[in-house]
Formats: sequence, structure tokens, C-alpha cells
Amino acid sequence: MNEKNMKTTTQKLDLYQLHKQEYLAPKRPVLLSTTPAQYLSIRGQGAPGGPRFIECIGGLYGVAFTVKMTRKFAGQGDYAICKLEAQWFFEDHKAEKPKDEWVWNLLIRTPDFITETGRKQAVAVLLKRGKPPEVEEVRLETINEGRCVQMLHVGPYEKERETIAVMRLFAEQQGYQFTGAHHEIYLSDPRRVPAERLRTILRHPVVASKIAP
Amino acid sequence: MGQIAFRGLFKNAKTVKLSSAQFASLNVQMGARMRATTLRFYKERILRVLVEIQRRLDEPLPLVELARLAGLSPHHFHHVFTGMLGEPLKAHIRRLRLERAAGRLKLSRLPVVQVALEAGFETHEAFSRAFHASFGCSPTQFRRRNGDPARLAAVSGVHYHHSAQVRDFRAARRVRKIMNVKIQQLKPTVVAFMRHVGPYDQVGVTWDELLTVLGKEGWLGGPAQFIGICHDDPAVTLSNKVRYDACVTVDGNFRGQGGVSTQTIPGGDYAVMTHFGPYETLGESYAKLLGQWLPRSGRSLRTTPCFEIYLNSPESAEPEDLITDIHAPLEPQ
Repeated sequence: MNEKNMKTTTQKLDLYQLHKQEYLAPKRPVLLSTTPAQYLSIRGQGAPGGPRFIECIGGLYGVAFTVKMTRKFAGQGDYAICKLEAQWFFEDHKAEKPKDEWVWNLLIRTPDFITETGRKQAVAVLLKRGKPPEVEEVRLETINEGRCVQMLHVGPYEKERETIAVMRLFAEQQGYQFTGAHHEIYLSDPRRVPAERLRTILRHPVVASKIAP
Repeated sequence: MGQIAFRGLFKNAKTVKLSSAQFASLNVQMGARMRATTLRFYKERILRVLVEIQRRLDEPLPLVELARLAGLSPHHFHHVFTGMLGEPLKAHIRRLRLERAAGRLKLSRLPVVQVALEAGFETHEAFSRAFHASFGCSPTQFRRRNGDPARLAAVSGVHYHHSAQVRDFRAARRVRKIMNVKIQQLKPTVVAFMRHVGPYDQVGVTWDELLTVLGKEGWLGGPAQFIGICHDDPAVTLSNKVRYDACVTVDGNFRGQGGVSTQTIPGGDYAVMTHFGPYETLGESYAKLLGQWLPRSGRSLRTTPCFEIYLNSPESAEPEDLITDIHAPLEPQ
């Protein structure tokens, strides 16, 4: 399990490295453009850390690993599995909804050469192994967020509200407004990193504000 | 390894992990339950070895032989020794040889080169370098000076004695940081594995191969755990002979294929300590667990190998963020 070894013996495709400009983590909000990106994803509802959430993470990683290793075994090249990301859907940001009603879409960015055939194969193999049924809910989807406001949030997930407020104000000052789903990219491992030092990239797509009548 | 990595992503996840692993855990904190009897048990064994080392300081003193004298396996002996003495066996022997050499410089008229050879150095230069690094002056300068003791700093308080008298030593103890060791009751675990024989820092190659074979067959989904069984201690075994099994938990339906076989990790009591950081420093955590915690725990080791559970992956985490649970098998109480 030597890290150096694993990195030098295999030339791996790293999507975050390839699309560096989309994974900026600045302390102040910035505007940036994103290109359409393919993800393995799974949608659900419930509290973060709740049973449904955990099962979905398991299913998502199961498919991600199986797809990757099938390709690697066939000698078609290797790539690094990206970090976990998630979209969060809130109808109204100001209203505090009970956590049980939170709706999310868990994501792992996946190279474009992974196709629907690869996903289906992996799901079939996992089901044959008797793995939990969530694997069947894992989809391959392309998300096009276009122009976004992005900022690094440092601290507990519960305190993201303040960072989001800063991002929203910045967007408005630049003549934009929030649209679509709030997006998070988890850079830290919460078991290793104390809550106050957790690093999470927050992203929100924006569109030009409508001119006030 | 990612699905494991993210099982603990949010606080509640931890509870899920514990219950699914089906073990009861009992938190024993170092120092809180120091057991005088086991400490004495280990001290007596190590003392025997310390006397033997001083008696036969001119001989090669292979670890395997000293471990046998202590009645411990080489692997465990190495860690107990390092943990209790505060220095590894090789460093201890070398220090004593240098102390003896320093004494001879003072008390005899032997030429420096002869003292060097007797201290186990092949050349005068090598001896002078090592001597200077330890005593801060050359052997000749040391000989001329008055009053410099022929002793080097040692937390254990054990120094070279011309008639090999070692009556006691101070067992090194970490007081500043509380060591978190849990006792867990584990059920027997079936794993698919590939054996690596060779340098420990090359086990990545074996892991790569194992994960590719198992991954394409869908074995890495769900609650699969990633385990390393260490049959030999990289610190004391010739690097090309280190045996290490890269393992992934599977169910009874697994059939061996392509160099992958199955084995069952025995159940029972295990002392578990979490190691945070790069794999290169795992040895330090082993020394703490087996050398400092164990002698004061009131428990004794079983002869089955220790194993490591990797909670995240070097592919997705920086070396300093790696988390590894070290498991040391214990005899039933």
C-alpha cells in the first residue's frame, strides 16, 4: 500500500487534475465556467448519515469500483476514482426543512469513455454477487452547470449557510442570480479532520439577473 | 476503498459501521488500568535478554535467538523491546558497544583501531564517525579528556557493565498523549487474498492486482473491508522475505481464481489501535501498542498474526490523512 509505488507504476487519468480550473477552492467567491461533466449518480431523500444515505454511498462506490476495475482488467487503461460530490435540492433556501426531507443527488465524476453498457454490466455483476439493491439505482448522467459561483467552505457542514450567503451576495453584485441545485465537493475526510477544519468546495450555477422592471 | 472511506462521512455513519461489524467494544485507556503483574512478566523476559546481550556483546546476537530467550515470537519481541527500552534492539546493541569502547579508551592503552574492531566496526574511520556522532568528539580526544563518562543517554537507564549486571530498567512510557486502545471481540472473517513476498513498500503492486481481479467480479461493492495480514515484521525480516497478505472480505460464495485464494481470519479478542498517517510510520504505532500498551494491559498476545484494516485509500487520501486500524490478537481472559 505504498502510495509512491501506486502512483509511479501506473499512469492514471485524474479528472480533477485535467479540469483544474473547475476545482478552484478560493477563500473568496469567484465566477467560473464549467464544461458538461459525466457522473455516476444516485438520488435519494433523507438525513445525511441516515441509513438511506449510507446505503446509497455504498451502492455508488460499488458501481464506480466495478466499472473501473472491469476496464482495467481488460487492459483498457486506469483512472483515479474522484472524490464524492453531491447536489442538494432546496425549494427555498431560507426555510429550514427537517433533515429527513432533504433531497440529494450523490455524484462521482467519471470519464466520458465510460458508457451505459459499462454501467449496466457492472450493476448486473454486483446484483449477481448479492450486493444491496441500491446499485440498480445508480445512473450515468451528464450535468452541465455552465457559469457558477464557487468558494471554499472551511468548517462543519452545518455552517455552510454563512458561506452560501456570501456567495449569493457576490453573485448579485456581479449581476447574476442563483439557479439550479447547490453543489458540494468533499475534499476532506470527516473522520480524520476535525469539523472546524473540514474543507468543502461549494458551487452554485448562476444566470444573468433579469433587469428590474 | 472509497465506499469504506465515505461510510464515516457523516457522524451517524460511525454507529452503522460498528453495529454491522458486530463486535462489542470496550474502551481501555492506557494508564487507567496499568497491571503491575503483566508489566513485571514482560520486564523479567526483557531483563533476561538484556543480560545476555551484555554477556555476548562480541557476538552477532541474532534477533530470532534473543526472541526465543524471551519466549516471544520475533515479531512481537521486536515491538515489546522497542516499546519498553525506548530504542530498537540494533540501536541498543550498538550503543552498548560504543559505551564499552569509550570505557576501553579511558581505561586501557589499546590502540584506537583495535578498540574500533572490538566494537564491531570494520574500519577505524567508520568507528570514528559513529563515535563522534554519539560522544561529540573523536576517540582520541575522548581518551585525553578527563571526567567524561563513558555513557550515552538512554531512557531505560541501561548502560554497559563490565560484568553484565543489569538488575532493572525503566520501562519507557508515553505519558503526554493518552493512547486509545480498544478491546474488540471479532467473529471469524472470510477473506479473499493474494500473498506478497518481498519488500513491504511494494505491497501496492499486489493490492493493485487483487483489487482489479475482485473489482471486475463485483466483490468490492457494499461492506467489503480491506485488510493486510502481516506475517513478518518488515523491521526485523530480510526485505525479500516479508510475507504479507492483501485481503478483501468476501462471503462463502467466493471461489478462488487467478492467484486469489481464501482464508479465515480467526475470531476472538483483539486489541485495536488506530494509526493516523502514512503507512511508513505504522511501525511506530505497533511499537506503542505491543511495547507500551500490552505489557500494562493485563492481557497476553496470541500467536496468530496481527492485521491492519485500511479505512481509506492512498488513491483518494494524502499520506498524512490515511487511517489504519491495527489489530493485535489476544489470548482469552
